[in-house]
Amino acid sequence: MWSFDSISFFLVFLGLPLALFLTLVIWPFLQAAFYSFTNWGGFSQEFDIVGFDNYVRLVQDGTFLTALVNNVKLAIVIPLVTLVIALIFATLVTVGGRGIGQTVGVKNSGFYRVVSFFPYVIPAVVTAVIFMKVFDPSDGLLNRLLPAAFEQNWLGSVSTAMPASMVVIVWAGVGFYMLLFIAAIKSIPAEVYEAARLDGAGRLRTLWSVTLPSIRETVQTAWIYIGIAALDAFVFMHILNNSGGPDNSTLVMPQYLFRLAFSQNQFGYASAVGVAMAVVTLVFAALVFTINRLSGGSTRSS
Amino acid sequence: MTDSRISAPDRRTVLRGALYTAAALPLGVTLASCATGGGGGGEDETDDGGDEPAGDVDPDNPFGVEPDSTVETVIFNGGYGVDYVEFAADIFADLHGGEATVEPQTEITATMQPRFVAGNPPDLIDNSGAQSMGFNAIMDQIEDLTDVIDAPNLEGTTIRDTLVSENVLDSGVYDGKLAAINYVLSLYGIWYSASLFDEHGWTPPTTWEEAKQLGAAAKDEGLYLFVWGKEAATYYQTLAIDSAIKQGGDEVRLTLENLEEDCWSHEAIQAVFTAMKEIVDAGYFKPGGSGTEFKTAQAQWSLEQEALLYPSGSWIENEMKSNTADDFQMTGVPSFVVDDSSAMPVTALHSEAGEPFIVPTEAQNGAGGKEMLRIMLSQEAAANFAKEKLAPTVIADTVPEDGFGSTALVSQSEMLAAAGTDTFTHKFVNLYGLNQAQLTVWNSFLDGSKSVEELTSDLQAITDEARETQEVIPVS
Repeated sequence: MWSFDSISFFLVFLGLPLALFLTLVIWPFLQAAFYSFTNWGGFSQEFDIVGFDNYVRLVQDGTFLTALVNNVKLAIVIPLVTLVIALIFATLVTVGGRGIGQTVGVKNSGFYRVVSFFPYVIPAVVTAVIFMKVFDPSDGLLNRLLPAAFEQNWLGSVSTAMPASMVVIVWAGVGFYMLLFIAAIKSIPAEVYEAARLDGAGRLRTLWSVTLPSIRETVQTAWIYIGIAALDAFVFMHILNNSGGPDNSTLVMPQYLFRLAFSQNQFGYASAVGVAMAVVTLVFAALVFTINRLSGGSTRSS
Repeated sequence: MTDSRISAPDRRTVLRGALYTAAALPLGVTLASCATGGGGGGEDETDDGGDEPAGDVDPDNPFGVEPDSTVETVIFNGGYGVDYVEFAADIFADLHGGEATVEPQTEITATMQPRFVAGNPPDLIDNSGAQSMGFNAIMDQIEDLTDVIDAPNLEGTTIRDTLVSENVLDSGVYDGKLAAINYVLSLYGIWYSASLFDEHGWTPPTTWEEAKQLGAAAKDEGLYLFVWGKEAATYYQTLAIDSAIKQGGDEVRLTLENLEEDCWSHEAIQAVFTAMKEIVDAGYFKPGGSGTEFKTAQAQWSLEQEALLYPSGSWIENEMKSNTADDFQMTGVPSFVVDDSSAMPVTALHSEAGEPFIVPTEAQNGAGGKEMLRIMLSQEAAANFAKEKLAPTVIADTVPEDGFGSTALVSQSEMLAAAGTDTFTHKFVNLYGLNQAQLTVWNSFLDGSKSVEELTSDLQAITDEARETQEVIPVS
């Protein structure tokens, strides 16, 4: 039983990852939780335990609440829009082709599949910088293309800054989730589609009644991943509107955390913001699981 | 075999694991800051940078640097690079044997924070750049550098007597302590193209009223008076504060610096805000600044010349070097006053030394850190800096009259000479990390969507929050 083989196997494949996980994930996690109860300034060994003061301040902090609401907006809109577009594209290049004969994607689907993945290959930082130029009110590509009456100060006015930022995040994300869905759709047996078609189902009907139920688990996974990304969104927001946008309309929680910790040296309070972010993230995931179960999906694998 | 399949992780377990990991990400920030608990004995530290010199003390070695000792310096690697410190390091090696190492760094906070917490910081730090450490966080852990200023330089003159002016040190003084020596001299002014002004027969304004008239004249030519970019909207806050200090005197500076209640409602500040609001409402600001990247906006002034004036620090010439129109002749004037009744003369200047060098108290070789500073503040190294970087240091007379051919450098020297002792600085914005929050407010004000009252109350709210949540360092 306890041969060298099995012991070394446990050490390398269980012990090592567990040790790394404990020191690099769990330990900082606990530390952050601890510091959230202090007034640590970040540069000395000295701090006072202040109990729940940071959390009391947190719920009264208007800027934090603005950031929280912005993150919630992102967590609602970004997954919905991105995944709907990704699913439509994925359907088109896999099963959306001609209505007779073998089930195939639209013409040149191989080309579209590669091209639509391009945005995901570009680092988020670069994407954000490019779009910042595109949205420039004086010389930006977008305003140059639009008729004068539709020109906007895209990232500079309260009404457009958030939607414009969302467009960038969606643009960057669609390719990856499309790939994810393509892989899932490919695993659905072709006979199911053929049967549906023989029964007279059109493309929309097929999407709704065949594709979607078959890849339900994948959609849920995707939803959680992109939701977590939207609850962060730091890279995009920090570059598109470094200071939080007009009237803080694009300020997100990590940006606020960053500001508190690294420009105001309030590491204790910043840790409390971090803990709050973690709680929000877990609540989001719990919501997605619950909704999926209530709407009839099963997450049990047995 | 079937048994092992049952215990294999299913998709949901994996997903759940990934979920927890992702939830932990926002908390990962403390990973970088790595625990106060760790690190070598900060409590029983015996080494003290300043008090007891290890080597012999004499005028050639005022801090008692041990022969052949090693000095560790960490230098912000920004616009000025680090070669000017390497220049001083070579001199150090010649004088004392040993070696001064120069580590270029841009992430000062991220790299220095764990070393401060662990009690083994380097001997000299250039605490500069966007990622610099907040002075209120490290105040108890750095040396008072007055003894460096009172030491003789390498040429034998006391360093204090070689400074451009006594108050050039102010930007490094916190609550009476000279916590940092700022090495590079810069000033804040309003910059314009002398050739463009000559062509139209314009003169640069000295009051807000004149600025408004110039704005009208510019509009007739299809030009704007001002331009701004979203990351630099607070340059107009600096302009407003400078202007108000000149108008209302030192009390304006003190009320802001001490984060007092209702400080933004000071009469002089309100007068400046009102004048600026008139200029905003008259459409003399190029629209869209709140959505424009700041260097793009600056190029609209220096390259496309769509706007006449730009308020900025004297680094602007260097910053826009490759984006300036031919024969632009960049020239500066001090910030405007409100009217003739101003407390300070029109020539009064916001002059501020930058690149703050600090010596940590717990440094292994604090004497060596101070010695490096003494070398840098000597004529030879200061002259080398001015020549290589086209910028003056806090040491007087290192820039020749032709300014190495730069009109901006010449006008900088002229403004400093004209101001004489009427120079001032203020540092609450950076000290308490308020810039990010203020940017949002200023962007809205400059694009016309905030009134003077809203500007005032929003800025006051930011000041009030800082006073209530951070430790305030009194300024007098």
